[in-house]
Amino acid sequence: MIALIRTEFIKAARRTRTAIIALLLIGLPTLIVVAINARGDRPDRGDRGDGLFRLASQSGLLVPAAVLSATSGFLLIVIAGTFAGDAVASDSSWGNLRYLLMRPVPRGRLLVAKAFVSGVLIWAATILVTLAALVAGVILFGVHSATVPGIGGVAGGFELSTGALLLRVVVATAYVAFGFSALLAIGTLFSTLTDTAASAIGATVGVYIVSEILDSISQLGVARYAFPTHYLGAWETMFTQNTYSADMVAGIVVQFAYFVVFGTAAVLWFQRKDIRS
Amino acid sequence: MVVEVEGLWKTFGDVSAVEDLSFSIERGQVYGLLGPNGAGKTTTLRVLMGLERPSRGSTRLFGSTVTPSCSELLHVGAMVEQAAFVPHLSGMRNLRLWWEAGGAHMRDADLDGALAIAGLGDAVHRTVKTYSQGMKQRLGFARLLLGRPELLVLDEPTNGLDPGEIREIRELIGRLTSHGATVLLSSHHLSEVEQTCSHVLVMNHGRLITSGTVSELIGATKSIYVEVDANERQRALQLLSTLPQVTAVQTQGDGLVMEMCDGRRSDVSAALIAAGVHLQTIMPTQGLEDAFLDLLAAGDADDAQRQHQGSAVSS
Ligand SMILES: Nc1ncnc2c1ncn2[C@@H]1O[C@H](COP(=O)(O)OP(=O)(O)OP(=O)(O)O)[C@@H](O)[C@H]1O
Ligand SMILES: [Mg+2]
Repeated sequence: MIALIRTEFIKAARRTRTAIIALLLIGLPTLIVVAINARGDRPDRGDRGDGLFRLASQSGLLVPAAVLSATSGFLLIVIAGTFAGDAVASDSSWGNLRYLLMRPVPRGRLLVAKAFVSGVLIWAATILVTLAALVAGVILFGVHSATVPGIGGVAGGFELSTGALLLRVVVATAYVAFGFSALLAIGTLFSTLTDTAASAIGATVGVYIVSEILDSISQLGVARYAFPTHYLGAWETMFTQNTYSADMVAGIVVQFAYFVVFGTAAVLWFQRKDIRS
Repeated sequence: MVVEVEGLWKTFGDVSAVEDLSFSIERGQVYGLLGPNGAGKTTTLRVLMGLERPSRGSTRLFGSTVTPSCSELLHVGAMVEQAAFVPHLSGMRNLRLWWEAGGAHMRDADLDGALAIAGLGDAVHRTVKTYSQGMKQRLGFARLLLGRPELLVLDEPTNGLDPGEIREIRELIGRLTSHGATVLLSSHHLSEVEQTCSHVLVMNHGRLITSGTVSELIGATKSIYVEVDANERQRALQLLSTLPQVTAVQTQGDGLVMEMCDGRRSDVSAALIAAGVHLQTIMPTQGLEDAFLDLLAAGDADDAQRQHQGSAVSS
């Protein structure tokens, strides 16, 4: 199993694409920080829409939260979808899958190894983007505690110490990364269903886009709570309202459920599948 | 038995790619699997390698039923359709990763032997996407030989190669079989099968049309060419026309061509020699290629007849 994970990791890590993604994940936060810094000169524009961005110039430790919030809605989903959808389909599109399975490598084990490697890359991407934001933020804004103002003067504002900020950044990163568990399993299943990596990736990202659109239609009511994207932003209250929202627990449960259901489906299907590529 | 296939069916919807196929291969035999496009050769090999499940029937390797990723595959070196690799890695890394993915250690692989056979030189350290089809095919041979396999399963192994490479591959297969390897090789190249294989299976429309040794298949043909000393040609012509097995005989160039209804070539040569005729050459007028095409044509005629009868009954 370890050998399989190692070989699959080398295959994935040595792609040019992986390097490009890494550069993007380092470059983008840097750009965002520079942009926040430019806007910091005129602090009272008063648009509430990007709350975390407005706060971010107070402390380098808030920058990762702003960057995670900006990237987890789409960019990280595309990247995670790429890693997950690619797992099996890239080997089939190269025609290499049949040779792997003639080695002979048990199919269930191969799939688990591939999904594990995709999962590691997804976590690495999330951690990388956070670290890049942290480094860029600390360089430009320094390490300070932060004051979050109350909303409309009703709720009181609160103060976050540097220790609390750091802890919450770690929790937020882990929550965002874990939030891709459903996507990982769905992408892996799609990856076993098609022989072209692009369709697996496209389908995975497509499911997420549809989920986000449906999630924004409030008339759908409680059904929305079961969408894989519904609780993805639940971590933001740690920075905006000083609470660990109960939604985070719900988010973890939903992700876990998707992971188990789609992961099991992927393994079962892959074991029965006729390998034709 | 190294390979046993029994009553194998593989259907895709209403298309049956393989229908009721049975054959077996003993240790050391070199089998050619012949058939036109879409005959079901690749499908058969896929099922044999555990890549596809049979719809019905069974396949066994070294006596054990084939299941996906079964351990018997360790003793099989296979190439199904073209050789394919991870394109962004070097040939060498591809070999290593493929070998190590199975949990084995590189020191247990016959890397030097395999590399010698691939004959890629320094190119083995280049990424595979820079390779020509021929180079990939040779790297494919290197990969399948890493584990010193007892059985080789090769699907059109010379597809896309130039004549020089085709000869190299043929010689390679010859060397491997002389060391006792068992081979099942599918091909369009009838001459390839004629030169490399001891036995032939002929498939068409998913069914086995005939099987046997190469010489049996050629020998089954009825037209024979004979050359004798020029001054004895007339005598030979008269003698042959009196033989009961010979239905027609005529001169052709420096020799004689006869059609036989049954009997063997040896009957003809024995009769000529007994009559004191100096026999120079005796051979079937057609090679495997003609025999193969004849068989396919006969098979199609049977099919047509059966269908005709079928529709006659139903109407
Ligand atoms: N996945 C599939 N779905 C539907 N039909 C299929 C599938 N795979 C193979 N077939 C059909 O099964 C038949 C046999 O195909 P196969 O690839 O085994 O032939 P082949 O003898 O290898 O041909 P070739 O010489 O062209 O390689 C063909 O008619 C093909 O169209
Ligand atoms: Mg084929």
